[in-house]
Amino acid sequence: MTVALVLLTLLVGAWLLAVIEAWLTTGRLRPVAPLLAGLSHLGRESILARKPDRLFFETAPVLLLVVAVLGAAVLPLAPDLVIADLATGALFLNAVLAYVLVSLIMAGWGPNGAYAMVGGWRFLGQLIAYSMLIVMPITATAMRAESLLNSAIVESQAGLWNIVYQPLGFVLFFIAAIALAFRSPFDLPTAPGELAGGVDAEYTGVRLAVLRLARLVMVITLSAATTVFFLGGWQGPLLPPWAWSLIKTLAVAVSMLLVGFYLPRIREADLLGWCWKLGIPLALLNILIVGLLILVVP
Amino acid sequence: MVVQAFFVGVFGLAAIGFGVAVFRTASMVRSALALLFSQAAVGCMFLAMQAEFLGVLQIMMMATEMSIMAIFMVMFMMDPGGLGGMDMSHQKRFSIGAGAIAAATAISVALFSDWGPIVAEAPDAAMQTRELGFEMLGRSMLVFETAAITILTAMIAATAVAIPVRQPGVDTGKLDKGNGDKEQEASK
Repeated sequence: MTVALVLLTLLVGAWLLAVIEAWLTTGRLRPVAPLLAGLSHLGRESILARKPDRLFFETAPVLLLVVAVLGAAVLPLAPDLVIADLATGALFLNAVLAYVLVSLIMAGWGPNGAYAMVGGWRFLGQLIAYSMLIVMPITATAMRAESLLNSAIVESQAGLWNIVYQPLGFVLFFIAAIALAFRSPFDLPTAPGELAGGVDAEYTGVRLAVLRLARLVMVITLSAATTVFFLGGWQGPLLPPWAWSLIKTLAVAVSMLLVGFYLPRIREADLLGWCWKLGIPLALLNILIVGLLILVVP
Repeated sequence: MVVQAFFVGVFGLAAIGFGVAVFRTASMVRSALALLFSQAAVGCMFLAMQAEFLGVLQIMMMATEMSIMAIFMVMFMMDPGGLGGMDMSHQKRFSIGAGAIAAATAISVALFSDWGPIVAEAPDAAMQTRELGFEMLGRSMLVFETAAITILTAMIAATAVAIPVRQPGVDTGKLDKGNGDKEQEASK
């Protein structure tokens, strides 16, 4: 039952996101359009590049989708609405997100195309840098909760949400989440207009449909993670817990879209430079500040 | 216990299978990712043995490490895609001998070691994480700190080696030839 509910939430979330994204770009609100677009992909020819690494080419979109769903499996939407509240939940999420990289390397290498390969290896640098900004802010939230249980991290924010307690960590995590979901302005692996779609370039038909769905689900998962770690999870007045989780997750997802909508794509060198020279020192500073707060403020 | 042993066996076989695949393929990326899945299977063995933290950590660390290895293999091998039919195996007799001796040693260590009494019930995952933390920041701290400093030193040294040293009169082959020419003139 819980599994079905979480999967349904992810699917509905992905659909809503696609509708809002199309609304932002075209100015027209068409709720059925994403479903029709998905169906039309199923009817299209799935072109296979010459001399591909077939195994990687086929595995990559499915792996990305599995990774996005597995990540959501450890995030509690309500006190009893979580597929697996692991004792190492916060670490498990990091472990799962590392496989986004594996999936994109496969998608880049598999089709035997130059643009795709450049996109895949670009993401290697991007993820290695920005996964630090996922791990370190999560570490700081786990320090406050004194637990790696995601439900315990939510409960630790009963008095004060982490967005107020550790705003620096929130900002870094939010930026890193956009980079990890390779949404604009961090969409260097796909880079439409520059890499002709990058890792997406050689995918068509049903494989492209899975890849697009996986990217949308990934945004929902990362938004849910932001909610759990920084926005108090299911906590809130009047409404039932699951409703608060959904509202917050959707708000974070839409704000990610808006950031991408108004900012231009960042140069690869700047993207990496900012992360290693500015982001990571700030993330370490965040851990120090949170550590001091925990010791000083009871 | 039987179910656990079954899964430890299944993941163990998977780890060996992917390990064999590392050398059976000519594509460098396939080889690196096969090693990744072999190590991830070892992580799953930890999970089957109820060592949750170690298992998840192993699965996490290997993803980025093996991806980095993949790009290095692509950069340095002459035929990274393996489309030219390159054979990765060489020194076959020596390798088989070394493999057999290593396997025999590992099996005999496993069989003849005194492993102590079998723990029927592992402590719960949260307690394991806690105990691991105390272990790493207590008795084993020196070991881990030594390893960390060694790795950091190697990283700094590798970066330092990679930075080209400018020698007057020597063309380093870099694109900014303007400066090089000036230096050459200055050295004259």
